[in-house]
Amino acid sequence: MNAAIQQLNNAFSLIAPDAVLLAAVCLIFFAAPFLVNDRGEAPVGLRHRWGCLSLLALLIAGCVWWQSPPVTRTLGPFVLDELTWYIRGLTLTFGVILVLLHWNQADDARSAESHACLLAILAGVNLIAASNDLVGLFVALELVSIPTYLFLLLPRRDAPAQEATLKYFLLSIFSSAVVLFGMSYLYGATGTTNLSGIHAAFSAAHGQQANPLVAVATVMLIAGLGFRLTAVPFHFYAPDVFQGAPTSAAAMLSFIPKIAGFVALLRLMVPATGAEQAINPWTMTPAATPLLWWLAVATMFVGNLMALMQTDIRRLLAYSSVSHAGYMMVGLLVGMEHEGQKHLLTKAIPQSVSGIGAMLFYLAVYGAMTLGTFAVLIAAARTDKRIETFDDLSGLSRTRPALALLLAIFLFSLAGLPPTAGFLGKLNLFFAAWAQGYESSKWLAVILAINAALGAWFYLKIIGVMFLREPVNRSPQETIIETPSLIAAGLCLVGTLGLFFLPGWLWVPIQSIMP
Amino acid sequence: MTNWLNENVLWLIPAAPLLACLWIVLVGQVIGRKYAHRPLVLGLAVSLIASLYLLTVVVPHGFGHDEHDASHSVMTTVYQWIKIGTIDVPVTLRADAMSALMLTMVTSVSLLVAIFASSYMKGDPGYPRFFAAMSLFVFSMCMLVLAGNFLLLFVFWEAVGVCSYLLIGFWFHKPSAAAAAKKAFVVNRIGDFGLILGIFLIWQTFGTLDFATLFESPNLINGILAGQPDIFHWICILLFIGAVGKSAQFPLQVWLPDAMEGPTPVSALIHAATMVTAGVYLVARCTPFFVHAPYVQMTVAGIGAATALIAAITALTQYDLKRVLAYSTVSQLGYMFMSLGAAGGGHGLALHAVTFAMFHMFTHAFFKAVLFLSAGSVMHAMGDVIDMRRFSGLRKALPITHWTFLAGALALAGVPLLSGFWSKDEILAVLAAASREGEHAGFYGVILGIALLTSLMTAFYTFRAYFMTFWGEEKFPEEAGHHPHDAPPAMAVPLAILAAAALGIGLLTGPTHLYGHYLHHTPGLPEGHEFPIDWLMMGISSILAAVGIGTAYQLYVVSPKIVENLQRRLSLAYQASQNGLYIDWFGYKFIAAPLRGLAKICEFFDRWVIDTLVDCVGFIPGLFGSIIRPIQNGMVQNYAAVMMLGLVVCLITVLRALAGTH
Repeated sequence: MNAAIQQLNNAFSLIAPDAVLLAAVCLIFFAAPFLVNDRGEAPVGLRHRWGCLSLLALLIAGCVWWQSPPVTRTLGPFVLDELTWYIRGLTLTFGVILVLLHWNQADDARSAESHACLLAILAGVNLIAASNDLVGLFVALELVSIPTYLFLLLPRRDAPAQEATLKYFLLSIFSSAVVLFGMSYLYGATGTTNLSGIHAAFSAAHGQQANPLVAVATVMLIAGLGFRLTAVPFHFYAPDVFQGAPTSAAAMLSFIPKIAGFVALLRLMVPATGAEQAINPWTMTPAATPLLWWLAVATMFVGNLMALMQTDIRRLLAYSSVSHAGYMMVGLLVGMEHEGQKHLLTKAIPQSVSGIGAMLFYLAVYGAMTLGTFAVLIAAARTDKRIETFDDLSGLSRTRPALALLLAIFLFSLAGLPPTAGFLGKLNLFFAAWAQGYESSKWLAVILAINAALGAWFYLKIIGVMFLREPVNRSPQETIIETPSLIAAGLCLVGTLGLFFLPGWLWVPIQSIMP
Repeated sequence: MTNWLNENVLWLIPAAPLLACLWIVLVGQVIGRKYAHRPLVLGLAVSLIASLYLLTVVVPHGFGHDEHDASHSVMTTVYQWIKIGTIDVPVTLRADAMSALMLTMVTSVSLLVAIFASSYMKGDPGYPRFFAAMSLFVFSMCMLVLAGNFLLLFVFWEAVGVCSYLLIGFWFHKPSAAAAAKKAFVVNRIGDFGLILGIFLIWQTFGTLDFATLFESPNLINGILAGQPDIFHWICILLFIGAVGKSAQFPLQVWLPDAMEGPTPVSALIHAATMVTAGVYLVARCTPFFVHAPYVQMTVAGIGAATALIAAITALTQYDLKRVLAYSTVSQLGYMFMSLGAAGGGHGLALHAVTFAMFHMFTHAFFKAVLFLSAGSVMHAMGDVIDMRRFSGLRKALPITHWTFLAGALALAGVPLLSGFWSKDEILAVLAAASREGEHAGFYGVILGIALLTSLMTAFYTFRAYFMTFWGEEKFPEEAGHHPHDAPPAMAVPLAILAAAALGIGLLTGPTHLYGHYLHHTPGLPEGHEFPIDWLMMGISSILAAVGIGTAYQLYVVSPKIVENLQRRLSLAYQASQNGLYIDWFGYKFIAAPLRGLAKICEFFDRWVIDTLVDCVGFIPGLFGSIIRPIQNGMVQNYAAVMMLGLVVCLITVLRALAGTH
């Protein structure tokens, strides 16, 4: 009995920050109904309190996170290694920004539930990073998905939001089913749901013939998780949902599911640190690499080419998020190949940029720049109308020069121009792919560069609209002051510029993940 | 305290002007626009003190003896920008004896010029802008000197170019100023192109750009030398092209006289004392490379001689006081390159050649700065008129300016015991030594002859300008009003200090070998034996100076009629000199005009061929979209179907591939 309690305690200590977040979620869900009267009205300004409470929860979780450094891996259901630790830091930091973005997006009566959903989503991402078991992984993935449906709908319950939510809901369920299918095959092939056990089984099967079960599982998992990443052809929901959902929800969707998807793929495909693994037909790598290659290429091209034709700023950002997913898939793919052939490398050759490291770095950079963009869009909204088309942004440099400058910096970063972190992020990915040495990965590097150029086209188009066009019938008094999103934009600016000038700050923890 | 200083003095030197710049840009534009010079003066004072401190700590104490064997340089990595795998880009500052001397020169002249400018620029609407740009310039210049690798050097090489552009075009509403700024920038770009190619070549050859690795380990150079000795010629000629652009040498000297459109303090600081000497610094810094490229060294000497001669001839007949000084600067820079080139004359000469070039640069900074600032003071008094035909006899009206200008002029002319005398004489001596021995003795003999001729002309044109301005009957242009006022204290004090330096600094550091011995602590400089004083050259140069000054006195004070006669008789030669031997014209006619034609063709090609191609490419997204759009129609069942289809395709592909491997 004591041993069991001891084990439970140990397991709990691995997910303490997430437990804090989930406790806050429970508290909010429990308390919120009491503060809204029968007619569904709440005291004015209640949303500020919920916002503060969310920030407090994130702060406590952050303290707990800081106090719980990575520990050695066990066979238990959870792991707390460097990857978990890094991803937690990422979600908690960007969680603060998302809370700030969401601050005024929901009205007082519905603010509580939507904040709780956001915290639950963040906890879910952390649990994905911490899970060491297929079951735990799937539950954590659902802990991200299900609150997302609510989060999309709750703040604004108008027709576009309903449509967006419904689309997301149906397709998300579909993808979850595909993931579950893949997991079941994986279980069938290896006989265990424990991820360490699965990778051990792969290693043990060295020399045997390829297993079609594993191949099917690989395709299913990549396809199902590709939905979270907005990988082509699983990206179709993105433009529609971004357009219809509230801005803060679009911001969340552009970033959080990507962390979830990439971390889940990392956990599934790349064995734990230190485990020697050759490419043998039994692992997921041989099936995954060509598939990911094609998906990455398609994702980059479709994202950028489709973004070129958009006039709606949210649809454009949706396609932009598709293309950035493609860039990060390049990192993932290159990293997987690298991990697979690690034993072949002599230690004498200094490893250049690791693909997984580049991908994890880009994830943080991408979060800062894309959330910054959304923050400016929220801050630039008017009382009657949010920013939707290019016309709403035209002449922004006259009416709100500071916001225009901020947005220009974020767009520069998204386009990958120095002196912004986006430049370094793309540079890392490019070097990682180029230095890999395969013909295929060199092609990937070239395609990445071409797509970066294509991307610059439409980002710079927005900047041109802001700075060169005259404002369209806009009087200054219509603008509202959105302090929380301005703070969020400021934080993102610090990230976007800071990670260019001091990349070591993030790079050092990343390098400890995949030594 | 000493420990702290030792560790931090390096970054402190550039940081102080940078902070001043940030302060002026962020705060000074709004608050206290009239006092925008204060942060700069304060920052420069800090930099100067730090530089002086650096001067004392960078070499072993008790210098002056023969102990330049150990390598003495200080390095700090201020900031590690990116260190990912094999990619490593640190911002490294490195100082040795050479940089310490250069920094002292830069910061002291800048400080004095800044004080001068605080009064000179008073009332200008762009007052804060001026000081912001100047702070940025001093920062960039300090970083250029302190750069620990070629990449950083190149970055700040460009940065000083940008600052120069900003300051030449400071009065950008004046079309001539805007054009001059553009010209300076474009001409400089030609040199920069050579420099960056040289840097690429160094990177390819050595695999590093770090000064410490490149210059302080002879083994590395010897290894390359054994394998590919010719590479040094290529590297050096490319680096020298960079130096030619920045230091306004033939045939890229055309930008410097036009650069006089900028405010006079800028001319004094950037286009006489500091930035234009960056080329000399670069070549001196890369001496370990140049000693292995004797032909390039001869080219350096040849280009230097050509420049010195052409510029001196041009300066003979200019009427614009600042242009006289500008051509004189070009000419003196030519002198420095002659000296650097003399290193090719014999094995023992390299050390002395570099030392004397750097020494001439050092003294030149002071006496040319005082000349320019005095000219500025004249301009200030004459209501911005600078044409020497429109004023004369100013020595009574502007006594302070008169004396300071005279001090600078005497030093420049090479009057015995003054700064210019010592440094110029040493250059002549090293050229004479080169012409006495070695296989290229004849070549260096010609160079020496040109140097002597130039020296004569220098004395003449300097005193021509002096006599035309300060002697003769008193005459003011109407812009000056009736009572021109002499320099106010804020201008007079820097003038006086610089004049004193122009007179004395050579005597203090030249014959005592203080400068030379100090510089010998620079790691990487070749060994050399004691260099004897060349009494013959000293005598000749003194006589030439006296002859030049005497002729100028005769022609412009005693009997000005002769000049008019000469002008009429030798009108062709006179016109040629007046127009700078038509080099500018030639450049426009035969380089700029064909280039413009080429640009026209390119424009046509761009507009009709490239644009059409781009339009075609731009059509692709539309085409692509029209294929994708029907799928992206907002129908959720469609989306699910396509996703399913994609999944099936993925599955079939992977399984088929797997089956193929069996």
